[in-house]
Amino acid sequence: MGEHFLSMRQVGFAYPGAPVVVSGVDWQMPAGTIHCLLGRSGCGKSTLLKLAAGLLLPDTGSVMLEGMPLRGPGPLTGFVFQAPTLLEWLNVIDNVLLPVSLQRKPDAADRAHAHSLLKELGLDGMQARYPQQLSGGQQSRVAIARALLTRPSLLLMDEPFAALDALTREELQVSLLEVCRQHESSVLFVTHDIAEAVYLADRVAVMDKGRLIFEQDIVLSRPRPPDVRHGEQFNAICARLRQVMAANDGVSLLRQGQS
Amino acid sequence: MSVRFWRSPGIWSLLLLFALVIAWEWAVAAFAWSQLVLPAPSVVAVSLWKGLASGYFWPHIVQTSIEVVAGLALGGLFGFACGLMLGESAFGRRVFMPYVVASQVVPKLALAPLLTVWLGFGTLPMVVITALVCFFPLLESTMTGIAQAHPSRLELFRMLGATRWQTLWRLKVPTGLPAILAGLRMAVVLALVGAVVGEFIGSSQGLGALIIAAQGSMDTPLMFAVLILITLLGWLFYLAVLWLQKKLLHPYIITQGSKES
Repeated sequence: MGEHFLSMRQVGFAYPGAPVVVSGVDWQMPAGTIHCLLGRSGCGKSTLLKLAAGLLLPDTGSVMLEGMPLRGPGPLTGFVFQAPTLLEWLNVIDNVLLPVSLQRKPDAADRAHAHSLLKELGLDGMQARYPQQLSGGQQSRVAIARALLTRPSLLLMDEPFAALDALTREELQVSLLEVCRQHESSVLFVTHDIAEAVYLADRVAVMDKGRLIFEQDIVLSRPRPPDVRHGEQFNAICARLRQVMAANDGVSLLRQGQS
Repeated sequence: MSVRFWRSPGIWSLLLLFALVIAWEWAVAAFAWSQLVLPAPSVVAVSLWKGLASGYFWPHIVQTSIEVVAGLALGGLFGFACGLMLGESAFGRRVFMPYVVASQVVPKLALAPLLTVWLGFGTLPMVVITALVCFFPLLESTMTGIAQAHPSRLELFRMLGATRWQTLWRLKVPTGLPAILAGLRMAVVLALVGAVVGEFIGSSQGLGALIIAAQGSMDTPLMFAVLILITLLGWLFYLAVLWLQKKLLHPYIITQGSKES
């Protein structure tokens, strides 16, 4: 178990009084990898991410982080939410410093670190702006910088770019890969966008009705230049995943494979 | 004068005021109404000027202002604190809300005679009445305001290991601040009404008491003069709250338009 950084075994979860959202999920993630969880809206992928974060605790099975059972949200994990959850009454730098300022008064080193993160994410000179003065893409960048501030070993991202236009989304994917490479971060990334999953991930899992129905290693080499997206291999992987997602459940897919 | 001048709504507001005053002056003369019923604006203006110049009004203005400020501070802070507590505790809400609502349905001004029995004549009972009037708007707006924090932000604060106290002060209160200030805006207007009507009943000082005194001496122009003073005072308080709101909400109201690049 030690070799896997994040390990989920037979994880199941249901909100009280509601049908099961996640069931029988097995998922292992080695350190330093990027895994994408792909699925349609309402398939339970955000819930699975919250289970990985410790925001929810599984009804059945176990979630282990660095060999320890996860009992709640901890400092090892950074979370980037669906909508950039920036606080509009704080400027950019104070938003980024929030994880520290909730624990203690940020010192010069914290500020320097926040500045360097903003710089890496292309937000140099924006420290004094307020969130409403930023574009959607810039807000997402600030949210990523905030999640990275505490140097988390695991970054969990819940469709962070879903609300952005296609071009901005692609730019952010490139930035994210670059930042992850520099920080050697492990990332679990939830998305409904096939191309996004394939471009970012070392491994993609497809989720449907609370179960993982398909897993695939993405063999594209790294670093991945943006035009990888137009390659034949890339498109072949995307087509395969689309086929899996379009099939309603794992059983029909299996039949397809056999015929 | 330029076209822009005539398009300014402020100018038209002022012109309307002049028109109304002139019509009033004319009507009083034309229908020969008694000064006891409706004094002409010119007569009211003289009465107002005399009162201000002789220093007769000032102690009353100060008295009412003290009541409004002290009552607003006391009732507002207490309402804010109770709003935080009830907003945080669903159990507390279920236990206390019926009593809070009941206390609001009682016309608080009807308590003025009782309060003068308990606390005597003077400033204190008026401050207490004003505070009672201000309490509810702040309680209500604080309670609803802090409940508006978005679930994903609450999760963010959980992720970051924030304590309940931090989540309250650094997420819920700032989120609710616009609503809380809207409550304060309501409270400041009600505070003046509370103070003045309280003075009708149980005070010999203040603008409300002055109206009763004017009624006793059948001095209708004085009554109108005091009404104008009350209006101006209320306006001033309201503007002060607007200024405070603008200061506190500065980061909230910056828009895309003020982007520098």
